[in-house]
Amino acid sequence: MLRTYLPAIVFVGLGTLVGAIFTMMNSWFGPKRKRTPTTFKQDPYECGLPSEVQQGFRFGISFYLIAMLFILFDIEVVFLYPVAVQLRAFGTFALIETIVFIALLVVAFVYVWRRGALEWR
Amino acid sequence: MKHEAPNIDWAGLSPVIALLGGAIVVLLAGLLRSRLVRERAVPFLAIVAFGASLGLGIWQWGEDAQVFIAKGSQATLAFDELTLMVTFIVAVAGIATVLLSWRALAPREAAHGEFYALLLTSAAGMVAMAGAQNLVTLFLGLELLSVPLYVLCATEMRRERSLESGLKYLIIGSTGSAVFLYGLALIYGATGGTDLREIATGAAGEAGGDVLLLTGIGLTIVGLGFKASVAPFHQWTPDGYEGAPTPVTAFMAVATKAAAFGAMLRLLDVGLIDAQPDWAPLLAILATITIVVGNVGALGQSSLKRLLAWSSVAQAGYLLAGVVVASSLGVSATVFYLAVYTMMNLAAFAVIVARERETPWGDDIASVAGIGVSRPALAWPLTISMLSLAGLPATAGFIGKFYLIDAAVDGGYTWLGIVIVIGSMISLAYYLRVVAAMWMRAEVAAVSATAQPRLAGADPEAERPQWELYLVAIAAGAATIFFGVIPSPLFDLATAAGRSLGLL
Repeated sequence: MLRTYLPAIVFVGLGTLVGAIFTMMNSWFGPKRKRTPTTFKQDPYECGLPSEVQQGFRFGISFYLIAMLFILFDIEVVFLYPVAVQLRAFGTFALIETIVFIALLVVAFVYVWRRGALEWR
Repeated sequence: MKHEAPNIDWAGLSPVIALLGGAIVVLLAGLLRSRLVRERAVPFLAIVAFGASLGLGIWQWGEDAQVFIAKGSQATLAFDELTLMVTFIVAVAGIATVLLSWRALAPREAAHGEFYALLLTSAAGMVAMAGAQNLVTLFLGLELLSVPLYVLCATEMRRERSLESGLKYLIIGSTGSAVFLYGLALIYGATGGTDLREIATGAAGEAGGDVLLLTGIGLTIVGLGFKASVAPFHQWTPDGYEGAPTPVTAFMAVATKAAAFGAMLRLLDVGLIDAQPDWAPLLAILATITIVVGNVGALGQSSLKRLLAWSSVAQAGYLLAGVVVASSLGVSATVFYLAVYTMMNLAAFAVIVARERETPWGDDIASVAGIGVSRPALAWPLTISMLSLAGLPATAGFIGKFYLIDAAVDGGYTWLGIVIVIGSMISLAYYLRVVAAMWMRAEVAAVSATAQPRLAGADPEAERPQWELYLVAIAAGAATIFFGVIPSPLFDLATAAGRSLGLL
């Protein structure tokens, strides 16, 4: 009964082993040079341009909120396109489903609006 | 290409629609300016939604509704007796939670509409999870259950422990979900189907040797184990339960467990029934570990919520015994115990909420010291609850445990039955400590309250006794005694739920 788990244990063991080997291989076989972290290497990568962002840079929380809301509504609207294209094939059922979906979106919109999330502060 | 609309049984789906529709109404009502609407009407509407779900569930009893049948495939959601039993448990727990949070701090801080809408959404997820006939629906239900609960745990936003609890639950819950999803993917890979019946046919020939399937089953059990707080996946439970607002803890403890076990029963006892010889010994060992870890962990706790958290780990171990045996009797026993567990835990949590508001001790065991004299109406429900959790005769907990042990012995797991008995014996040590504190110790003088910082739960406005807490405590306590003396009504419901899975 428990012997049937043997392959599973071998599977897990082998997975760990192979994973570990591949991670270690770099340091085993790779060229070994003295590590000198230059300032260039430690800079955040910004497409080759010198980084201009200061560490203490602050921006309004509204950006974050609006961006998140945009992503939410944006993704939901994307779902409407395939239905719109294929509406004839799906028939009335899809139409009703879409109306329900939009109604729920409106509820979400009313909620966001009344809560004041769209106001710039 | 012409597509055919799936066949949806609206009547069958109505318990979930009531919950989700209620969530929308509650959310929008919470936006209104009037304080009266927000603080009184919103919780009332939430109770109406839970009540409607309960009523519609009773109406659908015995209909065995299969909803969402696309052409050429099986139903993805079934409202058979098992699902409906979970619906009843969730709805009752929901009503109790709304009553407990009626005057609590959490909904006031997180806004009433959001708090109750999240509660209703989570409940809908629980029902969907218990009724899922398809791995995708199962996962959807799990996420719909979890995500609102992560938020609910952190609703007392100004208290660090509440945020900590929410964050811990989020991280560990996501890990659990990921493991669970990986397991589902492997099961799909091994059997070639996401539908439970397809999995059953796919697994029939494979059982015993297929590594992919066994790994999948293992990972799935781990994932569900996280939700049901089965040891060794229980580490989040004490911190999560202690930090969350107490009404939310009550809901998490009873309803999540019901949903997780509903899903576990369905997945293992329907989809993977042919692999039972493979997963049953593993699950039996997990049950043993859970019982030992839960009961030993509870011994040294002085916080009542932590104590109940460890006790809930132990109870999950008892419940697993009913899943292990994969028989109709086992399913009935699990469902029976879940219902009983709901009642006794709700009684205990109602008393904890009441004492949190009346004393400065928070949920420490000192808060219930001496209430046998000063507040017998709270002391009796808590006493009944503790004795029932320990499994003393004449309480529903005794019948439930008896039933589980019967199922374990009947399924050839006599040793697991013995483990349950030993676990219950250990558990008496900490349950009786609470009982002793209530009846044999003097009330801790509130004079020293100045030395103790006032805890966030204690609210000056809510000093006087509150009828809704007494209502929940007394009703749940009375139900525990009632079903301990006359178990047959609940017994009949559980038996019907047991039969609905089509096991021997």
